[in-house]
This record gives sequence, structure tokens and C-alpha cells, in this order.
Amino acid sequence: MAEHHDEHGHAGSGHDAGHGDAHHVNYKKIYFTLLALLAVSIIGPEFGIVWVTLVTAFGIALVKTRLVVNNFMHLKWEKRIMKWVLTTSLVLMGLMMAGVSVDILNHEGNNWENVAAQAAVERGLGGEHGELAVEEGTEAEPVEAAFSAPQMFGLVCASCHGAAGDGTGPAGAALNPPPANFTDPAFWSTRDRERIVTVIREGAAAVGGSPLMVGWSASFTPEQIEQLADHVMSLRPAQ
Amino acid sequence: MAFPKPQATLRSATGIPTGRLAVWWLLASEVVIFGGVLGSYLMFRLGHPEWADAAAVTNTYIGAINTFVLLTSSFTAVLAHQAAEKGDGKKAAGFLLLTIGGALTFLLIKSYEWTTEIMHGYTIQSNGFWQFYYTAAGLHALHVIAGAIIMGIVAADAYRGRELQRVELIGIYWHFVDVVWIFLFPLLYIAK
Repeated sequence: MAEHHDEHGHAGSGHDAGHGDAHHVNYKKIYFTLLALLAVSIIGPEFGIVWVTLVTAFGIALVKTRLVVNNFMHLKWEKRIMKWVLTTSLVLMGLMMAGVSVDILNHEGNNWENVAAQAAVERGLGGEHGELAVEEGTEAEPVEAAFSAPQMFGLVCASCHGAAGDGTGPAGAALNPPPANFTDPAFWSTRDRERIVTVIREGAAAVGGSPLMVGWSASFTPEQIEQLADHVMSLRPAQ
Repeated sequence: MAFPKPQATLRSATGIPTGRLAVWWLLASEVVIFGGVLGSYLMFRLGHPEWADAAAVTNTYIGAINTFVLLTSSFTAVLAHQAAEKGDGKKAAGFLLLTIGGALTFLLIKSYEWTTEIMHGYTIQSNGFWQFYYTAAGLHALHVIAGAIIMGIVAADAYRGRELQRVELIGIYWHFVDVVWIFLFPLLYIAK
């Protein structure tokens, strides 16, 4: 291979100067190294040790990237300006991430509270992962506690529909059409329990309502949706 | 060996041939696109420990096989580049065809995987994890499809000994698609 480089190098393809086939990279060796690293990244997590998983999965991803970028993409031999351009991209991306991370990672927030995210974490951690939730420092209620419709309404629905179900939740103020007011007799003139269940399960769009009320079938079991519907029905004013 | 070149290919005010400069610029923007998706996923994942349950559903072995397929296709892509530098357009076209074969294999495995998951009820609407799963892997798959199509065009030219410098350019793009998958694999399949 080496002799060919000398003979045909740049002239062979009429290639640009300074970036010919003069790198003497043993591509086969790089390829087999990559495969070996892949094997390690699969075997590593089998031990079930967190730091081993992190090192073998993500550490090796970085090593593999370095091998590919340097030897296959030949960035190692590229003009320095290109490295700067790519680094700038990475840095700008990192800046954006740092900027939004406080909103995404901190569910308690400084000036607001991400109730939907807190509720999602609690729902997901219910049962077997109970201890984790306590570590996370989320609301101190016992995670094993059975599903409570009024509590879930307060966590999830109230952000738009208001804690009292009167449609005055903080997140609902800007919505058009506004969130349903369950304490309004006029609202109930055209609704029954069956429709409430359908809307919670499939979203309001399923019955021709606003698509802003999304379906919750992925988050709650059918029984839980029934209980939530019961709670909504309980908000109905006496006639 | 002589073949016609557009003026832009010869011009290189930066010291980098214009075509390659353009590919690098493209990749600089791709870094932000994929980096943004993957970085957001990482932050959401850290904020939602319960996503681990959803991630446990993904099939590590299918992910690993697809990683193997993409690494292999990157290898054939760099061999195509090597052949093109020696002026062997036919050999370069052959390696590019092998790379396209890798792209098609990857897509076949991916469609089997997605079909199975969707049939089991894990759709893009299921929860945050699956939204990221289908968005990130879907965006990546679109890049695989686009790369395979462009590679076909470059291979057809290379076979006739034309535009051999483009073999390297599509290769650089292809390695990038490979690198994105190198990160998608641990993020979506290994970290449970």
C-alpha cells in the first residue's frame, strides 16, 4: 500500500494538495479496533455497575468518535480553521444546553413549578422504584400510596383547569379556546360522564373539541381514568 | 488521470477545496441539530428517572447489530475514498455500492425494530422517552436515506471515472452519520 501512495498519491486522482492519500492510515486496523470497542460497550453494562456502564457506554462512544473523526474523516490532517468551525458549533450547542438546563432539570424551579414533570416522575416511579423518588427529593408523600384522583387532578389537570376545576389554572390563561370550566352549569348541559371519560382518554379532539386537551391513555390506566372522570363529575354544580 | 472538474472544486481560497469546505460547514450545522436533540434528551432523561423503564424496552442486540452495520459501512466508505485517491473509479464505485448495501441493511433492521415496537403499543405518543426515541432515530434514518441516494449518484459518476473527489465528500458525510449513531446507541439502548 505504501508504495502506491508514493507512486500515485495526489496525482492519481488529481486531488487537492495537502490532503492526498499520504496519511498511511491502516483502515483495517481502525475498523477492527472499532468493532472490539463495540463489543466492550455491549458487555460492560451486563455487570450492572453504574460507573462501568457509564464508562463503557459513553466513554467508548467518545473514543470511537475520535477514531472515526481522525482516521476516517481525516480531520486530523484538515486545515485548522475547520476544527475551529466544528468546535464553535459544539460550544454554541453547549451554551444553549446550559441555558435551558435549569428549566428542564429543575422541576421545582425558581419562579415557577413544573407540576406536569413532577407528576410524570411520580407516576413513573410509583411502585418498585419507590426509594428512588425519596432520594430525588420530590414531594414527600408515600409513593406507595394508591392512586388518588383528586390529588392527580391537582397535579396534572389543575395547571389548566384550575384547582377548583373552574378553568382558571395559570397555564390555561393563554389558551384559546379556554380550558373547560367544570363548575359552569352551561358546560354540563351538553356533557355526560361517558364523554368526560373519552376526552380524558383520547383528548378533546376526539369529540371535536380543542386539540390542546390531549389524551392521557398513555399515562393512566383505564380504571384511573374512570376515577378521574368521577372526580370531574363531582365538580358538577347541583342542578 | 484527467477528468473534468467544476471551477468550485479547483478553487480553494481557504486551503481547503470548496466542496470539502461545504461538507464541513454542513456537518457543523448538523452538529447543532443532532447535538440539540441528543443533549435535550440527556437532560430530560436525567430529570425523569422513570424513563429508565421505557428505555429497558428497547432491544440492545438490534441496536448493536445496527452499530456493527454502520461501522462496517464506514469502513467500506473509507476504502472507496482510498480507491478514488488512486484514481480507480470502478473500485471506488464498488465500495460505495457496498456502503449503500450497509445503508439498506440498516434501514431494513430499523423498520423491523420499529414495526415490532409500534405493534406492542410503543408509539411516538406513548411518553417523553418514545417521543425522543422516534424523533432522534427517525432524523438519523432520514440522513441514512439521503446519504444512500447521494452515494448512488456519486458511485454512478465514479464508475465512469468522473468527479472522483466527490467520493471523499460523501464519505465524510457518511462517517458523520455513523458518529451520530455511535452516540444514539448508548443513549437509547444501553443506558437502562
